[in-house]
Amino acid sequence: MSLLEVEDLSVRFDTDDGSVHAVDGLSLVLREGEVLGVVGESGCGKSVSFMALLGLLPETAVVTGRATFAGRELLGASSSELRRIRGREIAIVFQEPMTSLNPSFKIGSQIGEVLRRHLGLSNRAARARTIELLQLVRIPAPERRIDEYPHQLSGGMRQRVMIAMALACDPKILVADEPTTALDVTIQAGILDLMRDIRERLGTAIVLITHNLGVVADIADRVIVMYAGRKAEEAPVHELFASPQHPYTNGLLGAVPRPGPTLERRRLLEIPGRVPSLSEPPVACAFAPRCPRADELSRTAVPDLREVRPEHFVACFHPGPDENLAA
Amino acid sequence: MSYADTSPAVMSPRARRRRIVRRRFMRRPLAVAGFAVATAFVLAAILAPWIAPYGPGETDFNALLAPPSAQHLLGTDELGRDVLSRIIWGSRASIEAGVMATLLAMLVAVPIGILGGYYRGKVDAVIARVTDVLLAFPFLIVAVGLAAILGPSLTNATIALGIGAAPALIRIARGETLALREEDYVRAAVANGASDGRIILRHVLPNMSSTLIVQATVLIPAAIIGEAVLSFLGLGVQPPTPSWGVMLADAQSYLSEAPRLAIFPGLAIFFCSLSFNLLGDGLRDALDPRTRR
Repeated sequence: MSLLEVEDLSVRFDTDDGSVHAVDGLSLVLREGEVLGVVGESGCGKSVSFMALLGLLPETAVVTGRATFAGRELLGASSSELRRIRGREIAIVFQEPMTSLNPSFKIGSQIGEVLRRHLGLSNRAARARTIELLQLVRIPAPERRIDEYPHQLSGGMRQRVMIAMALACDPKILVADEPTTALDVTIQAGILDLMRDIRERLGTAIVLITHNLGVVADIADRVIVMYAGRKAEEAPVHELFASPQHPYTNGLLGAVPRPGPTLERRRLLEIPGRVPSLSEPPVACAFAPRCPRADELSRTAVPDLREVRPEHFVACFHPGPDENLAA
Repeated sequence: MSYADTSPAVMSPRARRRRIVRRRFMRRPLAVAGFAVATAFVLAAILAPWIAPYGPGETDFNALLAPPSAQHLLGTDELGRDVLSRIIWGSRASIEAGVMATLLAMLVAVPIGILGGYYRGKVDAVIARVTDVLLAFPFLIVAVGLAAILGPSLTNATIALGIGAAPALIRIARGETLALREEDYVRAAVANGASDGRIILRHVLPNMSSTLIVQATVLIPAAIIGEAVLSFLGLGVQPPTPSWGVMLADAQSYLSEAPRLAIFPGLAIFFCSLSFNLLGDGLRDALDPRTRR
């Protein structure tokens, strides 16, 4: 059953230098208990889409489209309605664990605040639940840590605290925006492990926004690859890695280092060029300037999303796996 | 901050942090001296009836303009009043004006600054421009003008000083808010469904408190001097009630015969405001999270 349905979401920022189309006609579905990976380069609109759904964008953003969450319309909901949904039903974990906690309060009081506000727990009940939550995110000695200040915790610990805070009200959806980017690789693995555990134990649906395909391969069920504000490809995770269709996805996979049993060296491939500026609505495939397969058609029309294999959608005139990559 | 410090691990974090701040403060001799002298002045003001050797208006007609002696440690004025006693009683007006004016300025300025900085928009633009205009006038000029309008009394002088100090504080509170509202933890709080009021009370105000504390220790001495100026000009405390400014004004007529009548209250103003300034400097260094040890 689908928990969140987004249809034709567009986000435009009107600035003094003209308008920027950050997200253009994005549709997606999130099922209950599912881990959805959203992948793309910086500025492809992956974070902006979810910020827009929760009304977290500045007023200069013009958001259109429809988004239904558990039978309720999100876009155009009043700010008090959104405030009830934020944190309680859809929680977000941000990228910067080092600065996302208020330095003036103990972590216990910060997690407890969410519990008291959204669930109306008493101080004592909130404290007990906070210790439980710290245990859930595997912070050692939670009875002691609960009375510590953020500056006494490491980055990984702080990210765990942020996740605990996000999980405080048992949300239906956890949006993790680059949750591991600022952390050491070993700590990253621990956080991903934790997220997998949370999905299994609590059945929380997770949206994992990242630019790291390795992270997605690790825990996602389904992946959406975004490029320049549009969906380039969408597929179940195994399908995507086994048979990437969009040249951009192929490019991303080529840029991932893969240690193999053979010592044969393969150069990491880069995608030439840069993400286009999004100031004008597209008249061509946005990836065409960087695409080895681009032809006249790519440069004169925008490809629609097509289902090339079951549950595998791609927006490209020339889909198919890249031979260079097969090796 | 650092696990390497010697405080025992069993201390609560808050106690440990307090200890670090205290130690940083104690390492600065001038700050400690400032703290000691400021405390002495505050105690003198509170305990005036018990520690002053004479009443503030008590006259000794056998000792008019008497030089310092065993009976009158700092001598007497033209009406035979004990100068030391009047300085001690006068500290009441100074401390009261200093503290109350600062509190008033905080109560007026901090909410205005926070609301302007948090909500931005047209109202904020008006607030910012009006404070800019008010800041173009020196603090004392504004205070003298206001006191002249309100009429002479200690209460009115305090109000005038508080209002006069408000524009600078509004600007500080607004600037801090502008910076704090962009912090990641404010973004995170919004994403967790916190209301504006809660964000202001929990995320903005507490994190600007050390700035405000330091500002208070700058404002208190400014207001003490301000009170003396207003009283000197006849816009503050009215004779015969003692105040350092009133004493200075009275001393003018006897400057050649008994310059000590001006020197002693002058020294009181000097040491009192200096002590609060040093205390403020020490607090700023000790509370600054960027200096670690």
